[in-house]
Amino acid sequence: MVGEIGTLLIGLSLAVALYAAFAAWRGIQLSIVPASTAQGKTCGLNTLLQSAQNATYALAALLGAALLMLLLAFLTDHFEISYVAQHSSTVIPVYLKISAVWAGQEGSLLLWCFLQALFAALATGNASERARPLVPWATVFLSLITAFFVAVTLFLSQPFTLLPRPPLDGRGLNPLLRHPGMIFHPPALYVGYVGLAIPFAFAMAALITRQIKEWTAAIRTWTLVAWLGLGLGLLLGMRWAYDVLGWGGYWGWDPVENAGLLPWFTATALLHGAVMQEEKRGFHVWNMLMVTFSFVLVLFGTFATRSGMIQSVHAYAVSDLGGYFLSAIAVTLAGALILLYSRRAVLKTSSSTAESLLSRDGMFFVTLALFTALTVSVLVGSLLPTLTEALAGQRFEAGPAWFDRVTGPQFAVLVLVIGLCPLLGRGVAALKRLRQLRWVVIGGAVVVPVIAALVGFTGGISLIGFAISGFAGAATLAEFVDGVVTRRKRTKEAPLNALWHLLRLQRRKYGGYLVHLGVILMALGIIGTRMYPFEAQTTVSVGEATTVGDYTLIFEELKSDFVADYSTTWANVSVYRGSTYLTTLQPRLNRYTGTKQTITVPAMHPDFREDLYLILSGWTSDGTIATFKVVVNALVNFLWLGGLIFLAGGALALWPRMENRTWNAVALIVGLVLLFGAGWAMWGIPHGSVSYGGGRPLVGQSAPDFRLSLLDGETVSLASLRGQVTVVNFWATWCPSCVEEMPDLQAAWEAYSNRNVTFLGVAYQDDAATVRDAMAEYGTTYAVGLDTGDRIAEQYGITGIPETFIVGPDGRVAYVHVGPITAAALSAQLDVLLK
Amino acid sequence: MQNKTTFIVAGLLLVAAVIYLIVSSTGSTAQFFVTVAELQAMGEEAMQRNITVSGAVLGETIVYDALAPRVIFTVVNVPADTKEIEQRGGLAQVLHDAVEDPNGPRLVVVYDSVKPDLLQNEAQAIVRGKMGADGRFYADELLLKCPSRYEEEVPAQAGD
Repeated sequence: MVGEIGTLLIGLSLAVALYAAFAAWRGIQLSIVPASTAQGKTCGLNTLLQSAQNATYALAALLGAALLMLLLAFLTDHFEISYVAQHSSTVIPVYLKISAVWAGQEGSLLLWCFLQALFAALATGNASERARPLVPWATVFLSLITAFFVAVTLFLSQPFTLLPRPPLDGRGLNPLLRHPGMIFHPPALYVGYVGLAIPFAFAMAALITRQIKEWTAAIRTWTLVAWLGLGLGLLLGMRWAYDVLGWGGYWGWDPVENAGLLPWFTATALLHGAVMQEEKRGFHVWNMLMVTFSFVLVLFGTFATRSGMIQSVHAYAVSDLGGYFLSAIAVTLAGALILLYSRRAVLKTSSSTAESLLSRDGMFFVTLALFTALTVSVLVGSLLPTLTEALAGQRFEAGPAWFDRVTGPQFAVLVLVIGLCPLLGRGVAALKRLRQLRWVVIGGAVVVPVIAALVGFTGGISLIGFAISGFAGAATLAEFVDGVVTRRKRTKEAPLNALWHLLRLQRRKYGGYLVHLGVILMALGIIGTRMYPFEAQTTVSVGEATTVGDYTLIFEELKSDFVADYSTTWANVSVYRGSTYLTTLQPRLNRYTGTKQTITVPAMHPDFREDLYLILSGWTSDGTIATFKVVVNALVNFLWLGGLIFLAGGALALWPRMENRTWNAVALIVGLVLLFGAGWAMWGIPHGSVSYGGGRPLVGQSAPDFRLSLLDGETVSLASLRGQVTVVNFWATWCPSCVEEMPDLQAAWEAYSNRNVTFLGVAYQDDAATVRDAMAEYGTTYAVGLDTGDRIAEQYGITGIPETFIVGPDGRVAYVHVGPITAAALSAQLDVLLK
Repeated sequence: MQNKTTFIVAGLLLVAAVIYLIVSSTGSTAQFFVTVAELQAMGEEAMQRNITVSGAVLGETIVYDALAPRVIFTVVNVPADTKEIEQRGGLAQVLHDAVEDPNGPRLVVVYDSVKPDLLQNEAQAIVRGKMGADGRFYADELLLKCPSRYEEEVPAQAGD
């Protein structure tokens, strides 16, 4: 039933979308009538246009209902629907069932349709007074765009297709998609994609009606929404790749990633161009081109990732959508460019007024040019195999190295421009501020690379990058300081108070600068991770220490367990820097029984300077030897922090002017909660990092002192045994491998009891009676005591037993053994120490 | 008028710089993209340059040494041309046919890293690296695609 209703809703949507386009078009036609008959027709015109407007509302409602039906089908396990059976199962938690709605092509297209219809309804219904004349034509275009996506969904990629024989349970969600970020990542990106259709539709409407000025008022908010959605989607995708894919990176220049990045570039350019246009400083042609390219790139991205034309790791099925999208791209591009050419006279009357390249206007020009260059570069890279085959007959492919090399210098110039922009005023005043602030920006350009060099980043090119970032950071921060100082002169507020009011009252300006600050911080992270990559592989046996970079890793043990529909195996690895214990990392490998997929779950230790990122690669069947991949990502946390500031700045710039104070406060709190939530998800939760007390003392370190109450009532302290060799054995009667080593320990004790050696048995989480019984059974004669409250075990970083430490006469740890020890191994160590 | 010239010069400089970056990077870091059959036709030349080759993974040939770690597997030739793939019934069908074809050109790939989760029979492997003197392909990078396997396999229902 759910399936049939869903299909019906999508079918109705297509009819309504086509009707809306027709009604709006007919309404426009009827409104262009000779003045003499205008009186009689106005009524009809209004009704038709009003009807078109109502149809856009109905369209959003119908598609919303269809999406709800699909959600319902997922929540109530309607496995007779093929799409539900493929992406869900009875065992997965509810939040994953929700994200499974857009886990595949069919569902994601339906979400796309709904968002497109919703945005179209909001944009046409709430258009500002000045943009209102554009609404009828914008409705025509937006309805046609929605109709295209609905038709693709209905005829080529139906989410409600029924299975002839419904299965009892579904396939379950692809384990790779089981990440909280995946709930928000696709919708955020789609907000960006569909959002870009709005300024495009209004642009075409403006060109047709020759009302360029009205267009300005209509675009900014929607461009900002789309741009912020794309930015959020890209950042979530990066973090998802970092957390889930287990290759240690966050951006691989994959064609699907590029498909999201390209419209973001053009949207950023459009956003800057829109500012100039609002200030009546030209840029009309640029903006028209950017808005067209943004929308075409959205179509191109959708086409490229689903046509199989571009090789990608994103597991979208190759489908027959390609041809339809290619036609849509051709029609859109040709139509828009022809329209643009035919209206060149209207656009030219308002051409650029920039006086000099070294001025604010000049910098906006450079910004737009740079973003265009970046777009072209990434597009060329994505299409390189196709392009080179056509040009040279050989297929060349662009890997990450190609993209880094081509875009790196361009990004560097972009950050430089971010720094220059606030320093340049308009017109003749251009260089005045630069002179005022020269010491501040020179300071920034010197201090940042010096600090970077002091903590070990000394590569020449990276230092140039750090200097540019420092320069841009200082220039941007100076804007904030300047604003606060000026305001305080007038209001005598406290500095923080003044900053708060500044952010509140000039949201767009300071939101923009916050975004710039975020980008500068991200630049630091990108320089660190791209120019100082560190990756190593190491194979170690249980208890063995290995040094990787600045870190010493000790593989403690391998464990495994069954959870829901997968089995998980993890290693406990103690991490030291030098001889200081940092944490214990637990990298995992999950095997899903249903899909036979294995998923690596990396563990990481985040730090200001770098992340230590550990992946469990393999192990021997007895679990005594394991292989790890170790990745050190330098400065990567600057990237994530920059991303958060970037989003905060974008949200600030977008913040609507609400009259109601309560709603303002609620929205502010929600925004802050989301930001802190994202921060907590990145640095608050452990990511496979567990701390065990102080960690195990390493060989050569002094053994932590302890007092042990022996079973015979006496107390012994380790300090009192200074000058002797002491064997400290952690064990328990409930642990089979501890019981297994008892005869060996006793044998060694008997062999060395007349030498300068003491044996101490520390019974871990045990009780006196059972320990006495076990000692009697195995004839243990060395001193044994209970570790009440696990105090000693904590001091020695015990994560499992048995473990044996040998402390030398100097009170330092001479030997550590994890797991059952043999008499031979003990003798070998004792002989060396007693020599 | 002089200002307009500055803008044009700046724009042209940017265009020139970007063209230089693209052309020089394509020469130095871009990789030759070939099929298994084309790679074998290249002969000696294949050992000197960075190559990307794509093929269908033969599931039973996958040998994984978790401790090295090293994966060795064989890929079978699949056509690179999208039109040809479409004509033969889509990528999934082409991969399936390639694995079933005993006469298709084959290539042994050596990949010194962890076995990726998606490395399985009939997956499309895209490997980047160099041809070794021993006739095996030494990959630095391995990308995998399972175009439809995951989506197609809906479990058989009870009583079927």
